[in-house]
Amino acid sequence: MEQNNSLPPFQGIVLPSVKGAMTPGMPIFSPMMPYGSGLTPQPVTNTNSLSLLEEQQRQQQQQASSQQAGVPGGLGQTPQLYHSQTVTTTTLPGNTPLYTATPLTPMTPITPATPASESSGIVPQLQNIVSTVNLGCKLDLKTIALRARNAEYNPKAKMWAHSSYKACCFGSENQSRLAARKYARVVQKLGFPAKFLDFKIQNMVGSCDVKFPIRLEGLVLTHQQFSSYEPELFPGLIYRMIKPRIVLLIFVSGKVVLTGAKVRGEIYEAFENIYPILKGFRKTT
Amino acid sequence: MASTSRGDGLTLPKVQCPNHPDAMLVEDYRAGDMICPECGLVVGDRVIDVGSEWRTFTNEKATKDPSRVGDAQNPLLNGGDLTTMISKGTGAASFDEFGNSKYQNRRTMSSSDRAMLNAFKEITTMADRINLPRNIIDRTNNLFKQVYEQKSLKGRANDAIASACLYIACRQEGVPRTFKEICAVSRISKKEIGRCFKLILKALETSVDLITTGDFMSRFCSNLGLPKQVQMAATYIARKAVEQDLVPGRSPISVAAAAIYMASQASAEKKTQKEIGDIAGVADVTIRQSYRLIYPRAADLFPPDFKFDTPVDKLPQL
Repeated sequence: MEQNNSLPPFQGIVLPSVKGAMTPGMPIFSPMMPYGSGLTPQPVTNTNSLSLLEEQQRQQQQQASSQQAGVPGGLGQTPQLYHSQTVTTTTLPGNTPLYTATPLTPMTPITPATPASESSGIVPQLQNIVSTVNLGCKLDLKTIALRARNAEYNPKAKMWAHSSYKACCFGSENQSRLAARKYARVVQKLGFPAKFLDFKIQNMVGSCDVKFPIRLEGLVLTHQQFSSYEPELFPGLIYRMIKPRIVLLIFVSGKVVLTGAKVRGEIYEAFENIYPILKGFRKTT
Repeated sequence: MASTSRGDGLTLPKVQCPNHPDAMLVEDYRAGDMICPECGLVVGDRVIDVGSEWRTFTNEKATKDPSRVGDAQNPLLNGGDLTTMISKGTGAASFDEFGNSKYQNRRTMSSSDRAMLNAFKEITTMADRINLPRNIIDRTNNLFKQVYEQKSLKGRANDAIASACLYIACRQEGVPRTFKEICAVSRISKKEIGRCFKLILKALETSVDLITTGDFMSRFCSNLGLPKQVQMAATYIARKAVEQDLVPGRSPISVAAAAIYMASQASAEKKTQKEIGDIAGVADVTIRQSYRLIYPRAADLFPPDFKFDTPVDKLPQL
């Protein structure tokens, strides 16, 4: 089993049998990871607190060792998290059942219970929600535009109708559903047989601030697989997280914009995932 | 002059003079005969001459080598087509009574590759405009071929993909060109080239190194006509500015331009912001912004052995 800090081979897994401490806060994340099999980047935890994550890692480690004695090729079938964690020292004697994963099932995504020392107190604020609803009938836009008034709704949620069937609505969450209902009501009152079908949120956008400047060049070097940083094109780094499927725009100032979520939890999860990584690339001056 | 009667195997029938079996036959190229030198008997006739048709001297007219038939093959890129094309006739006989050429078949030789060949031509044209060497052109062609075969970007304009490939090739060779420089030689907008660039990187699953200020110094400075000392000073200034994080979030091009401005203003060859902006492709307000950020620490940023024409405190303050 590899014990070095260097990047693991292509299919290889960095088995967390390293006893020594890794660079604190610096996740070793292999850029060689096959595109698309990457899972959420995991932070390095130096703490001895055994989180759920570490338990599961140990399970995989045991499973891995039971499979193949750590040959990287053999582990290629069960995609595992790249965790270079200093996992430790204390092996849980026998209370972790072997994780039976068939070679073809990807490992269930782990949502780690963040160890207490790593949790960021920051919660991303949702800025915008885009959703669609099917009104089930043809809409005559001209009539609606002339006769409907938007002022009576929550001004933060506005609606916009396609000429047939669907309507999109922008605004904040929970209000968007309400706004959609109200709009359907208005349309109904105008005489169209509107129904409220398939309300679905398509996109949610959130933003937050990590309160420290970030070294984008370092981030793009280590996370080449996911990042795209072209100062000529856009001043922020575009980070495409695979799990959950979220796109983050990360700026030098420390502001982060998250988008592409279907549910609120994805935004929070993505931020919790990225926060430790960003801490590792904090600017020191 | 070797007699062809000595074949490789002994099974070949030996051509020999019946009267003088040991005599070495002489080949007469012009007549195609094999003649016995002893008695003059013509032993073999109609010998096919496989030598070259005409003499070639390699020194003169190297472009027109008569012993070559056809264009140089480009097997890496084309899949080696050996088709024949009928060219336009030149004499009077090739036109019929209305003035149309008689033989009109100039059919496409390989329609699948036609678009690719057009793109190669376009790439060469673009690269010529900015004097890019052959190795970058070859790399661009290879990239284009890979992208084209993958077909993942099939809907995009070939010119856009070609421009993006050119950009990537320059970057991969370690001599990046700014997007604006590529725009200048291409008909595609910067936005579209940027989009294609990202798509290609994803399709080919490669990545490129981040640009640095030093990559552009030699080109910008020589275009401005600045001497080597100023160029070296500007390189040093830009590097220090980035190391000391005086310009967070600024594009490396803008920082480079500001550094060149500072270095040139401190030397005898002063250039205006507008001139530098024209060469670098940045607006002069952008240079002003970055200059304001590095101005406070100007004294630290200059290299120690720099000869000041204008001392640091007299540098323009914008």
